Amino acid sequence: MPPLAGRSAADIVRLMAAFRGGTQPATVMDRIAKGFSEAETEAIAAWYAGQK
Amino acid sequence: MSTRHRSRRDVLAGLGAVVLAAPSVSAQTAPRVVVIGGGFGGATAAREVKRLLPNAEVVLVTDERTFTACPFSNLVLAGMRDISAQQFGYGGVEKAGVRIAFSAAKAVDARARSVTLGDGTRLAFDRLIASPGIDIRWDGLEGYNEAAAERMPHAWKAGDQTLLLRRQLEAMDDGGLVVMSVPANPFRCPPGPYERASLIAHYLKTRKPKSKLLVLDAKDAFSKQRLFQAAWKSIYPDHLEWVSLSTGGKVLSVDPATMTLITEFGRHTAAVANVIPPQKAATIATTAGIADATGWCPIDPATFESRLVANIHVLGDAAIAGAMPKSAFAANAQAKVCAAAVASLLSGAPAPEPKLVNTCYSLVAPEYGISVAGVYHPVGGVLAEVKGSGGTSRLDAAPDVRAAEALFAEGWFKTITHEVFG
Repeated sequence: MPPLAGRSAADIVRLMAAFRGGTQPATVMDRIAKGFSEAETEAIAAWYAGQK
Repeated sequence: MSTRHRSRRDVLAGLGAVVLAAPSVSAQTAPRVVVIGGGFGGATAAREVKRLLPNAEVVLVTDERTFTACPFSNLVLAGMRDISAQQFGYGGVEKAGVRIAFSAAKAVDARARSVTLGDGTRLAFDRLIASPGIDIRWDGLEGYNEAAAERMPHAWKAGDQTLLLRRQLEAMDDGGLVVMSVPANPFRCPPGPYERASLIAHYLKTRKPKSKLLVLDAKDAFSKQRLFQAAWKSIYPDHLEWVSLSTGGKVLSVDPATMTLITEFGRHTAAVANVIPPQKAATIATTAGIADATGWCPIDPATFESRLVANIHVLGDAAIAGAMPKSAFAANAQAKVCAAAVASLLSGAPAPEPKLVNTCYSLVAPEYGISVAGVYHPVGGVLAEVKGSGGTSRLDAAPDVRAAEALFAEGWFKTITHEVFG
């Protein structure tokens, strides 16, 4: 599972969109990404990008 | 009580409680939050409240100095894991600034806002968070009481019961029949019985190949059913038989003296019997008045505040959380949402609108993991699954995906236990 630490917010938003759209291979993240809107994904990404 | 019979004084006292309730805390006073329950839900909630409100006095009430985690305890039963890998102390929680009261919560006075401990100490609170977990309904299955559980362990609270069932499986002769009884919904960890059945079957297949597991179920449908049944057919065709409700699986009574389980259709005598009995919210929930006639606790899905008693929040297995299952993952997610709501309410702010995630991994065999995931939000007063989200692992997944999910299951356990107890 690729780690979240060190990823930029833009990278996380792009990955989540790919999980939602089914273009990124996944075990569980495709099912979870579909539960969040784009705006929510951006907020999540900003939070993770701020974690050291 | 009808209004007509209430005295003027009672009514005024009631109003007084409301007036005192809001705003609950002045800026000068440190808010007091008491958390009942030292499991995944309670320990998370206590740490989160302290993190969000550093000046709050947060006390966690738990009667055990060592917590034994249920997730992965089925591996202990199958001899794949030591119980010590399931056990955690509260040093990390204390270091996070939470005071621990190692005692049982005996009573809750909602009006006085205090919790009474086993030694008589009273802890005052502005808000109480209850994550007390489950108790066995000792009146729920004829013949099954605390003495019977020493012969026919439930092992549905991890610890001594897990070790007892493990010893029984180890001591059983090759060729012995293992019988498991599974209750109707709702109960702790919906996929748990089927993971357990899988791993016991794995143990029998590899160590006691002449033995077999018979699963007597009070249901026709269960969590991750198609995935489990496909795996059982290919991996354990000679070692696991599942009997559904409609084919006579419902256990009506047990006789521990003869190790017999009685169903509508017949009697099964076991060499080892694992009776997973009906359950309810832990007894303190009933004592505190937060459990309803079902034995579980109705809540507001955004704040987890009890529908029955103001200023008491309930989460985890004890709560009626709509579409969310009773799992450690769910309790951890609910605890974060509840703590955020409690912190907001104590600060006089509205609680945020939450979204919650759950993922439950199950092992079917070593290096064979499957999962069910969901995203939830409040809709019309209950927690509902976000449309289009969630679901189970693919039925046609390749072995490397099953191996990856088994690895992720372990990663999840390490991550959550580090976050909650580390």
